[in-house]
Amino acid sequence: MDAIIRTEGVSKVFNAGLADEIKAISAVSIEISRGQITVLKGPSGSGKTTLLGLIGCMSRPTEGKIFVEGKDVAKLPERFLTDVRRKTFGFIFQHFNLIRGLTVMENVMLPLYPTDIDGGQMERRMEEILDKLDLTAKRAVRVEKLSGGQQQRVAIARAMINEPAVILADEPTAHLDTKLSEDFLNIVTSLNTEGKTIVIATHDPLIYEKPYIDNIIEMRDGAVKEAALL
Amino acid sequence: MKGNGRIIEYALSTLARRKFKNFSIAVVFSALIAVLSSILFLTHAYKTETLKLLDNSPEIILQNMSGGRHELIPTEYIKTLSGIAGVGQITPRYWGYYYDSLTSANYTLMAVDENMRDIQLIDGRMPQTDTECAVGRGVADLRQAGLKDDFFLITGAELSVNLKIVGIFTANSAILTNDLVVMTKDSLIKFFNMPADKATDITVEVNNPAEVSMVARKIRRAFPNSRPILKNELIRTYDNIFNWRGGIVLTMFFGAIAAFMIFVWDKATGINAQERREIGILKAIGWETADVLTLKFWEGAVVATGSFLTGLILAYVHVFYFNAQFLAPVLKGWSVLFPRFQPMPYIDIYQIFVLFFLTVVPYVAASVVPSWKAAISDPDAVMR
Repeated sequence: MDAIIRTEGVSKVFNAGLADEIKAISAVSIEISRGQITVLKGPSGSGKTTLLGLIGCMSRPTEGKIFVEGKDVAKLPERFLTDVRRKTFGFIFQHFNLIRGLTVMENVMLPLYPTDIDGGQMERRMEEILDKLDLTAKRAVRVEKLSGGQQQRVAIARAMINEPAVILADEPTAHLDTKLSEDFLNIVTSLNTEGKTIVIATHDPLIYEKPYIDNIIEMRDGAVKEAALL
Repeated sequence: MKGNGRIIEYALSTLARRKFKNFSIAVVFSALIAVLSSILFLTHAYKTETLKLLDNSPEIILQNMSGGRHELIPTEYIKTLSGIAGVGQITPRYWGYYYDSLTSANYTLMAVDENMRDIQLIDGRMPQTDTECAVGRGVADLRQAGLKDDFFLITGAELSVNLKIVGIFTANSAILTNDLVVMTKDSLIKFFNMPADKATDITVEVNNPAEVSMVARKIRRAFPNSRPILKNELIRTYDNIFNWRGGIVLTMFFGAIAAFMIFVWDKATGINAQERREIGILKAIGWETADVLTLKFWEGAVVATGSFLTGLILAYVHVFYFNAQFLAPVLKGWSVLFPRFQPMPYIDIYQIFVLFFLTVVPYVAASVVPSWKAAISDPDAVMR
């Protein structure tokens, strides 16, 4: 199976050279296989979120290389990095990071606003995703009025609108009960079935103990403790 | 709608989401522009109107001086004046001031002369008999009088003079004619009890405009107790007066301008945690730095341009519809407070552009710069 994402000796230091310097991850080398569900597992502070941000081009490594679709993106200028981020990744954040005051459809279509995609096509794509996630009835509701589970589905819809190859989810079940967590996993497996690569950072056994998880990368203290291909 | 159009649409929705902050900025911004524009509009309107009318005034006005004060001038001077080389038409003028206790207003009473008969700025006609008069718009309004109405004045001896209004000067000449009452020479001489061989002043035209100063010197030599007032001096004086008064008022408002700039800087630059997070989210979901800057540019531009236009409209209404109630006393001076007159809407586009660049541009810059700082950072760092 070919690797859609590969890291080589990646380190990330926050506030380098300052008194509050934090070495978040150190010399991490991993591979994420195309079309698989990979879990970055580990306790809080193990560096999962930092690694997820790095492979999603949300920040740059202090050292090391990150290959996305075979191309090293670690040193890419900001403009090109944004392009990779937009075309390759869809993010589902731990706190959903929806924009309050905007409706469900506005939040979902937001990634497409600066693009040249035709308005009609944009709306069709949005309607299709909302329908798939059972959000059509809530399309005109402001996101802050939705329940936690509904907000997460909006976040998933937003992550899907660009039709990315990879979905990155950071602690997606941290604020959900068991039923909603199961619902989330159902959506994820359905996306995986469509060919999406899924990377989930979590310490929730409900996720990493599922039989359909293809790959678990266990992290501790900013380093990879164990990588297991299941 | 594509790309930028959707970003503009999103900018508008962002402004609506932070309506309290943006509304408060817009109110203060508009108020400041309204005050500054009122000063500029009013000063420019006064200057333009005054200078335009002075342009038609005689090259030299000769006044007689006694004890440092203006006194009636003997008409026999005319004979000597006509002998001075370069002097053209010479006209004695008869005029004076009248305080009307009925309306608590000062009027300027003037005798009709040959030059006046050509004035086009009038409804009706100029007076032709001793029982007729023409009045300025302000006088007519104060007296609530119209064409063919009676108009009476009371002399110092408490004798009333009854005149019939046969003409009203139009608003186009307001600054010159607003407080004016024009009557025949005989009526005026009789009303002010002036000696028959004297006039209030004498106007002198000069054939060659380049010789005005030289002719004035000759007049001064011929009549050492006289004061020749040149048209150019009048124009310069009015220009300086209005510039000076406008400058004083602008200086008075300097504190307000400084306070506003600090307020704007604080409001526009102080992007809070939520706004920073929002920029981070936009970057994370695929917006480029340029897209974020375009968004912030439009947010700033809409607030600043909207406020600027609102301020301009408020200033226009204040100055040209409500006679600049708040500023006119300062800019006009006490001596011409009554009767009130309506300034004509003359606007200097250059001044508007200067004001635009001094207010809107810094505001937009103050909106974009701090967002740019957030937008060039990694989305991960901004959201943290």
